[in-house]
Amino acid sequence: MDWRSPRVRILLVSVLALVWMGAALARLSYLQLFQYGDYLARAQRQQQRIVEVSPRRGILYDRNLRELAMSVQVDSSFAVPVEIADPPMAARLLAGVLGTSPEEIETRLSSSRSFVWVARKLSPEKVERIQALNLRGVYFQKENQRFYPHRELAAHVLGYVDIDEKGLGGVEYALDKQIRGKPGRMLVLADARRRWFDRSEHAAGSGANVVLTLDQNIQYIAEKELAEAARQSRALAGTIVVQDPLTGELLAVANWPPFNPNAPADSGPESRMNRAIGALYEPGSTFKVVTLAAALEEGITRPEEVIDCQMGAIYIAGHRIRDHKPFGLLTVSQIMSESSDVGAIKLGLRLGAPKLFQYMRAFGFGSPTGVDLPGENRGLLRRVENWTPISVGSISMGQEIGVTPVQLTSAVSAIANGGLLVRPRAVREIRRGLEVIPVPAPEPHRVISPQTAATLRSMLEGVVLQGTGMLARLDGYTAAGKTGTAQKIDPATGRYSPTQHIASFVGFAPINSPAVTILISLDSPVGRYHGGEVAAPVFKRVAEQVLSYLNVPHDVPISPRLQEAALRSKKNNPIADVSDFTPAQLEQADDAVAEASQPAQPWLPRSAPTVALAPARPGLAEGEGIPVPSFSGKSVRQVTEECLRLGLNPVLVGTGVATEQSPAAGELFRRGGRVMVRFARRASLVGTSVRGN
Amino acid sequence: MTEFYTVKRIDNSRLARPTAANRMRELARLVAMGGLLAGVALLYAWQHFQCIQLRYQLEELKAERAQVGELNQQLKLEVAGLRSPMRIDAIARRELGLSVPVPGQVAPTQGPADGVLAQVRAISPSARQ
Repeated sequence: MDWRSPRVRILLVSVLALVWMGAALARLSYLQLFQYGDYLARAQRQQQRIVEVSPRRGILYDRNLRELAMSVQVDSSFAVPVEIADPPMAARLLAGVLGTSPEEIETRLSSSRSFVWVARKLSPEKVERIQALNLRGVYFQKENQRFYPHRELAAHVLGYVDIDEKGLGGVEYALDKQIRGKPGRMLVLADARRRWFDRSEHAAGSGANVVLTLDQNIQYIAEKELAEAARQSRALAGTIVVQDPLTGELLAVANWPPFNPNAPADSGPESRMNRAIGALYEPGSTFKVVTLAAALEEGITRPEEVIDCQMGAIYIAGHRIRDHKPFGLLTVSQIMSESSDVGAIKLGLRLGAPKLFQYMRAFGFGSPTGVDLPGENRGLLRRVENWTPISVGSISMGQEIGVTPVQLTSAVSAIANGGLLVRPRAVREIRRGLEVIPVPAPEPHRVISPQTAATLRSMLEGVVLQGTGMLARLDGYTAAGKTGTAQKIDPATGRYSPTQHIASFVGFAPINSPAVTILISLDSPVGRYHGGEVAAPVFKRVAEQVLSYLNVPHDVPISPRLQEAALRSKKNNPIADVSDFTPAQLEQADDAVAEASQPAQPWLPRSAPTVALAPARPGLAEGEGIPVPSFSGKSVRQVTEECLRLGLNPVLVGTGVATEQSPAAGELFRRGGRVMVRFARRASLVGTSVRGN
Repeated sequence: MTEFYTVKRIDNSRLARPTAANRMRELARLVAMGGLLAGVALLYAWQHFQCIQLRYQLEELKAERAQVGELNQQLKLEVAGLRSPMRIDAIARRELGLSVPVPGQVAPTQGPADGVLAQVRAISPSARQ
């Protein structure tokens, strides 16, 4: 064979090529047919990453959709221990930034696990400092962190979360399932440089947003006044509840002491407790409202009935119960306004234990109100069979019974709204994307008749006008309420403490069209401890600000002297509030102030309906046409008074200020004819804010 | 016997090679098909790599969107903090010297400025009697 022959050479090359191709084909076949699964898995391990997508917690809003709690992403640092060459050195460097012990970090960095947390949810400054260390094997991962932008505001209602964003208190806990959302997974394809170039994802279900019934501004007013009252009285704890008596919606729930939900671990469980729903206390005289409501509803007494209060002492089952003052003969209205224990006990005894128990249960005591917040206490109400002979008397004046502030607020709201007990609620609606899921309004149930409720409202107004709650008297608004001063049980002796009290006031305003029910409770105030002295002024300050904020029109004329005194005071003390003055204090105001108030106030429009009623019209003869006045902008009370003075029969619809009337203003109308007036709430700020100097 | 190797000189330069038209067409078709196949292969490869590049871009855009969304959330949080009643109250009182309006300074309005109140048909005095 001639190797130099072209044919041989061609043949040789062809054979070699064939062999090479055969070998390649064989290898390819081997890889594709026999090793396919292994190599595919290896490639996927290198290219694919499964990333857990944690859902973002929903936002908590107040009733005006202002954010109260929301989550944003922050960096957490983690380490892959096998990649760290010198764990002790890395631990020392990290400990310097994080402010923790190096040993603790070193233990983690030296572990055999493939992933360890270095520190979670770091501040941007710490992240920068760790990045500057440029440590091999230390990485960052985004995590959601819950923030409460208003810090302590409404903290007890909102609750708080743990490091894994799990709700541990308040609405965060109660609606954790809805707010938390569902985690998602993401399959990511990454190249050799770990750059992502494709993904397929099972999206995380974002948590639902929750709209609360709270109003951020009312909550602030309540917390500000509670803090001030607690500081002044040096009370151990305190609560303010503001409720819409018609719907049962809680507009504010303030607790003292406060806590910061951004750092819940910094405060103890006592501070984190929502006392408005979880703390039991003996209501004391505020509970006489229930006793008298039951007595009036059962028809066993009338407001004008005179009862002998036996100069302040009564014996029940061998026990002598003393009144706080030696009252003689008092009407039932006076028993309420003067808060006579003996009078209340006598009415309770006349009512009898079963009936009293029945009404207490009807008003919601002894069972949870059903408020949509966790940790509600059902209260303490023993069954009648377990009552002692003295129980009827004790319970009639608010002892031997434990209530929560929200229970008592709801009971008084029932009196305010005409006799219907409405379940209090804190959650208005749940929003999932664009879908709005309203929380159904609770069905109210009747506790007392509208007539009894009206009688009680009048009696409670007496408490504020001439009774123990005079410091709760509002300027420009009618108000009703009841003071309470309850002795606390001394845990050491098991008896009522002579030094520790719970001062409280619960009331509502305005009387004819109540916009808010407010309860104030202060635990163990030092010095002055009567509800009328300590809690009633807080009611005044809160109510005046809240009613003004809600644009509730004044239903009684504003005292010009009060305005002048307030303005004068502001000149001396710009920080002072007008609410520092009470009509009662004003009675002692100096004459100079009274004289100074005579000219029209520049900040008040002369036509403002709250200043004075329209001048009286001359009387008209029977059957003669009466020109119908314009009721526009006037309050319910003003319209009623004017109609009655003119001999017209008013038909009033709605609440607030008059917006529509029929017949129209200026028309001649017969005396005794029905005038329909519609009301709506609406107001505007007149003038500019007042400067202190 | 002696053999002689004689070189026979053949000069084909003057011969004209006839062109086979069919053969050339076949060749051209083959080249065109080859070119087409190569073009398709190149197009496929280009598309493939372009697709990968677009995936990278898409991922970058998604990451950017997530970042912007997160920034938006952080700004919302900051706005919420700035709108805190506690902060506004402090600024109003201490920096601006404002105070809570006195009673009566916030007064109900006098009805709608441009609205028409509900009215009934006017009844003449004679009709009423």
